[in-house]
Amino acid sequence: MLTFDDTPAKWMIYPAVLFLVLGMSFGVFIAFNGFVFPDYFSGEYIHFGKIRPIHVGHVTLLWLLSANIGLFYYFVPRLCGVPLWSPNVAYVSIALWWPALILGTYSYPWGTNFGWEYAELPVHVGLFPTKLMFTLAFALVAFNLYMTVATRRYEKMYVSLWYTMGTMFWTLFTVLVGFYIINWVPMGISRVNVSFFYVHNLVGLIFTPMGLAQAYYFLPKLANTPIYSHRLSMIGFWSIAFVYAWIGAHHIIHGPVSQWLQTTSIVFSIWLFIPVWTVVTNLFATLKPQWSEYTQSAPIRFIMMGNIFYLLTCIQGPLMALRNVNEITSKTDWVIGHSHISLYGTFTFFAIAGIYQAVPVMVKKPLWSNKLANWHFSLNLFGSIPFMLSLWIGGFWQGMLWSTWADGGTYAAFHNHLTELPFLQTVADMRPFWIWRAIGGAIVLFANMLFAVNIFNTIILPEKDPLQERKLPLSSVGNAKAAL
Amino acid sequence: MTPPLHNNFFYRLEKSAVITFIGVILLFSCAVVVTLIAPSLVDPSWTLPASSYQVQMYEVVDPNIYISGSQSGGADLQFAYHLKNNESLLSFEETEFSRIVAPPDLEKYITHQGERPLKLTSRLLMLRKPIKGVQTSFNAYEMAEALRQKLQEDWEEKNPQWKEQGLTKFDYAISELYALDAQEGFAVAPPDVILENWISSDFVFVDTKLQDKELPPGVVYISNPKEYRIARFSNGNTLEWKYDPNGEIISSIEALKSHPLGFRSRAELISLGEKVFAAEGCWYCHTDQTRTLVQDVVANGSESYPAPPSSANEYIYQKITFPGTRRIGPDLSRVGVKRPSRDWHKAHFWSPKTASEGSIMPAFQHFFDYDPRGTAHSPTGVPNLSFEAIFQYLMTKGTRITPPTEAWWLGKDPLNTMDIIEGRKEI
Repeated sequence: MLTFDDTPAKWMIYPAVLFLVLGMSFGVFIAFNGFVFPDYFSGEYIHFGKIRPIHVGHVTLLWLLSANIGLFYYFVPRLCGVPLWSPNVAYVSIALWWPALILGTYSYPWGTNFGWEYAELPVHVGLFPTKLMFTLAFALVAFNLYMTVATRRYEKMYVSLWYTMGTMFWTLFTVLVGFYIINWVPMGISRVNVSFFYVHNLVGLIFTPMGLAQAYYFLPKLANTPIYSHRLSMIGFWSIAFVYAWIGAHHIIHGPVSQWLQTTSIVFSIWLFIPVWTVVTNLFATLKPQWSEYTQSAPIRFIMMGNIFYLLTCIQGPLMALRNVNEITSKTDWVIGHSHISLYGTFTFFAIAGIYQAVPVMVKKPLWSNKLANWHFSLNLFGSIPFMLSLWIGGFWQGMLWSTWADGGTYAAFHNHLTELPFLQTVADMRPFWIWRAIGGAIVLFANMLFAVNIFNTIILPEKDPLQERKLPLSSVGNAKAAL
Repeated sequence: MTPPLHNNFFYRLEKSAVITFIGVILLFSCAVVVTLIAPSLVDPSWTLPASSYQVQMYEVVDPNIYISGSQSGGADLQFAYHLKNNESLLSFEETEFSRIVAPPDLEKYITHQGERPLKLTSRLLMLRKPIKGVQTSFNAYEMAEALRQKLQEDWEEKNPQWKEQGLTKFDYAISELYALDAQEGFAVAPPDVILENWISSDFVFVDTKLQDKELPPGVVYISNPKEYRIARFSNGNTLEWKYDPNGEIISSIEALKSHPLGFRSRAELISLGEKVFAAEGCWYCHTDQTRTLVQDVVANGSESYPAPPSSANEYIYQKITFPGTRRIGPDLSRVGVKRPSRDWHKAHFWSPKTASEGSIMPAFQHFFDYDPRGTAHSPTGVPNLSFEAIFQYLMTKGTRITPPTEAWWLGKDPLNTMDIIEGRKEI
């Protein structure tokens, strides 16, 4: 039997779990300090504008991207039947990765925020060229994974490998565009357009294929059942490749960009229904013969709930791109709800499921507590409901309130509506929703603290009861055949 | 390590897979070309300016208007134009109560009261109070006094009953036009200047170098420049300064920019303001786009006129543009028109919750320096560089789309937003 050196995966996943909790703490902090008790803790280094990018930097890069790469280090060798091509290259990449992201993210309060959404990472912090370090680290990850696939023993490439290879190329391209090429295009709207290409592809061509690669690997693995249709998964893969690059401009519908570009992005946004249906159908059909597993295993629940959230997010996305829906939802909390259901509800759930499967295998011990994992899932789900529903309902309502300014036929009538309902009143009306959002967020944070405790106890503590091992499907040390 | 069974990366690659692969790469490149590269080339509004006024504001005015908040003992800003011979356009206009005397060779630059076209020159000339006792071939002081007497006599003739009517005798402001013996100089600019003098018709260049050139569609010019002078004084051990029309002249741009004067050009401040806007994260809560929606043009409009939707060319002078994705606070794309008052922004940045009730915006008290001596007599601290930068940056929003004479807030919006939203015009 093959053995795998999982040290690189551990070096990516363990800190990522910590940053998940930290990032969510920053999120809960701003939910309270920005909205429930506005500016209670006040000052240059702590106000909303300084802490928000720290929250986003944590959950997108320090947690999700890092965890995803850690899970790639875990399952790509197992799907290829060979060890990681070069652990040393992985170590170099890790040595660049963490300092770049930690320094970059924690420097925002000192005024290093670069100013493009999701590309806030500063060019340098002190003597550290953080942007370059991050890019280099990612290039090394991509190189290492490509070489692992190239030297594989199993001939047939499972869909997760396709997604991995796709996302490695796309991420590199997207990062280069969003970090560097953006400065070469003319100033103004041309850069905005490039920025939104980057912003959307970060989700569409980075987190989506990474998350789906995990779902396709870990669901069959956890439920011990083959994937329903490899062909369907491949259709999903290629349609993602086809659709996502076109739709960046749907972030500025009704905005100062050319109408034809807006229309193009809307048309391709509608196409998104194809990849999402392939994924959702495929994952549900995969679990169908083993449906009882859903009640037995928290990680499977995470994947299936993530799958449902994925369906929701990908129904929302194309609909929000429609001009008339966009008129109401755009620029409101609906957008925040949408970004959380995709990055948290879907891809964080997938990554959590992956970590639940991978960590016991890597440390060759069963999960410390299955009970805690069940609580983790339930609290995550129940916390996410007030959290996301309040954002959607509140956001939609605020959009409707704003649209009352467009009632009437004359400017005098429009302006009259505006005097009756000033902007600040629509802010005040959001307060109950913001309270629910903060409460939901706090529950989610608490749930993920349990997750961190569970994972680190699994790693550190000795096995509780050796007999327990037999009962747990999780503890089966994975071998390369897994999902094939 | 077990050697791989095959050296071929794509083992047993089917023909259909190859075609798909090539197809997807083609489509991806196609997407990049169409969505990233084509728009700037196809749509001229992405790269061409909104108006000649916008170009001149960013390229001519901003680099040459200098602002300092550091005048000793005052919270008010100091503004100075940097005038350059053969570059800066100047006008010398008389009004009903102000007259200009000039030596015979400079007479041609004066636009007398009610006279048109407006005479503009790029020769470096300025106005000053005629000084007694300066003996040259042209005796400005005597000429000015004679003119004043004559004007007052004329006025008395016109209003013979002025004492009985309780009128005050007019005192005419008479200045002397003189040529600076230098290639550059500094002139007083009006306080809180956001809009510049603009003329698009009925003007003429009185200058041999510019005369032959075709007249542009309109120009920004400086009216009646007076030299910016300062007085230095010491306060304990520190050397301080203040504006003084009779003080010393400023020798060079370096002297203007260095301590203790500490002037910065508005171009520098706007650029810094953009960085402050990014670093403080203003853009997470404020959008910078009036969308093509009725609610947006109404919310950003004035009492009488809607604000035109933002167009791509408004942003072409910004390194980073913040169209925004979330509107937690109001949109800022027309803030230069909606909130032009520096005092309003001072109070608002200091404490948004008190300045606009119900606001959830954080306080930005780090935009102000502590004022230990209380000399600024300001309820807030003394605004520092961050404040001046963000203020100048915000004041560019919505004010530069069209010249002030054809502005949307006067109802002269070129897009006819009013007609569109009231349904008289289709887009």
